[in-house]
Amino acid sequence: MNNSFFSDFGLFLTKRSADIAESAAEHLVVVLVSLLIATVVGVGIGVLVWNRPIARSLSIAGAGVGLTIPSMALLALLIPVLGLGWVPTIAGLAFYALLPIIRNTVVGLSEVPPAVSESAQGMGMGPVRTLFRVQLPMAWPVVLTGVRVSAQLSMGIAAIAAYVGGPGLGEMIFKGLSSLGSKNALNYALVGTVGVILLALLLDAAFVLIRRLTTSRGLRV
Amino acid sequence: MTVQASRDLATAFGTASNRRGRYFSFKRIGTPVVIVVVLLALYWWLSTLALDSIELRTLNWDYLLERTFEHLRLTVVASAIVAVLAIPAGIALSRIHSRAVHAIVFGIANVGQSTPAIGLVILLAIVWKLGFEVALVGLVAYSILPVLRNTLVGLQQVDSNLTEAARGMGMRPLQVLAQIELPLAIPVIVAGLRTALVFCVGVATVATFINAGGLGDMIVNGLKLQRWPVLITGAVVVSCIALTIDWLAGLAEDLLKPKGL
Repeated sequence: MNNSFFSDFGLFLTKRSADIAESAAEHLVVVLVSLLIATVVGVGIGVLVWNRPIARSLSIAGAGVGLTIPSMALLALLIPVLGLGWVPTIAGLAFYALLPIIRNTVVGLSEVPPAVSESAQGMGMGPVRTLFRVQLPMAWPVVLTGVRVSAQLSMGIAAIAAYVGGPGLGEMIFKGLSSLGSKNALNYALVGTVGVILLALLLDAAFVLIRRLTTSRGLRV
Repeated sequence: MTVQASRDLATAFGTASNRRGRYFSFKRIGTPVVIVVVLLALYWWLSTLALDSIELRTLNWDYLLERTFEHLRLTVVASAIVAVLAIPAGIALSRIHSRAVHAIVFGIANVGQSTPAIGLVILLAIVWKLGFEVALVGLVAYSILPVLRNTLVGLQQVDSNLTEAARGMGMRPLQVLAQIELPLAIPVIVAGLRTALVFCVGVATVATFINAGGLGDMIVNGLKLQRWPVLITGAVVVSCIALTIDWLAGLAEDLLKPKGL
């Protein structure tokens, strides 16, 4: 890669900065929406199953099986049902994001010392209050780690989702492929790929902050 | 079942190996049953359909077997290369007792894991060429990190009292490595290889975009021509391959575990 490549790439960046910013924003939005859905559903499932051995084993095994399925295959299977565009992308991303979250919720809740839950009950808290005031806050750091893993996972899968008409930086990568041989092919693919890496690292850094802000004070180290 | 929390992408994929020697758990028997049932259901569904000429061109045994073979060849060759490169590299890295070097390796591994597979494969195709070899390089580059990382972590977590005791008994460094450290690290290393295999099946699916064949061909063709049976067959078969490989690797993980653990 020589100087002319860099000046060419710089020109590409300034010329298409609006496009690039829009793709990056869409990428982030689609990932965040899926993460939000996955967190609500995943924590819900985790809360329901963590104390029931059979349901727990089934959901953990199911989560393992789900993660094994290639993302391209799952996204493809969603097309006949959901069509192309945002909907199958968010559904597919939320599915993958769900799996680490369920697992970490189950682990996090099982790691809460029984003595603590019992003393909460002894203080007159009902099961629901114990869950929200004691168990979930104590399990939260582990749950949040699951969300963080899911975030990394969905960033990469969102790039593939461009093939099923999903929005985001994946479009740039595929544009690079479809203009193979032309001058801008490398620029497009490079912007798409590096953009996803940067977004993933930024989101990862954001999670350090979120973790600090949302962990209950007594648990901070 | 012992459940472990996932801490990063590599551990998210490593699922429950049966630590108490329960070789016949639900997952052990359940997975192949599910795979067979799904494949039979797919076959039954396809046989009830009246396929048109476009669908018949891809939905026949020759085509399907050839795509499956291409897919498996990519996956297996890439994983073999990964094992040959990453395990010795991990061992070599574990001999370097420098925190800075390890931090750099883990840093690179982190960036590598946030690299989208599709971007890596397509970038390689643009700067190099299309085809099998390029896809192979992409697969290797993408799945080498979990194995390298797990080899390093597996060797680091060996109790230092054990290695000291071995040295005190008069073992040479190589003997300590071969007889104490590696056997104790094997479960973690194999778990990394299992992750790499699953990654490879997934990335081999997107290899179709750079003309490297595989079952991704069926998914893309089915989508382009709006022939759902073709698309669904490709997607279901590739998922079943991923599950089978993960299941086999899980079996190997349990069998290779040292007896004392």
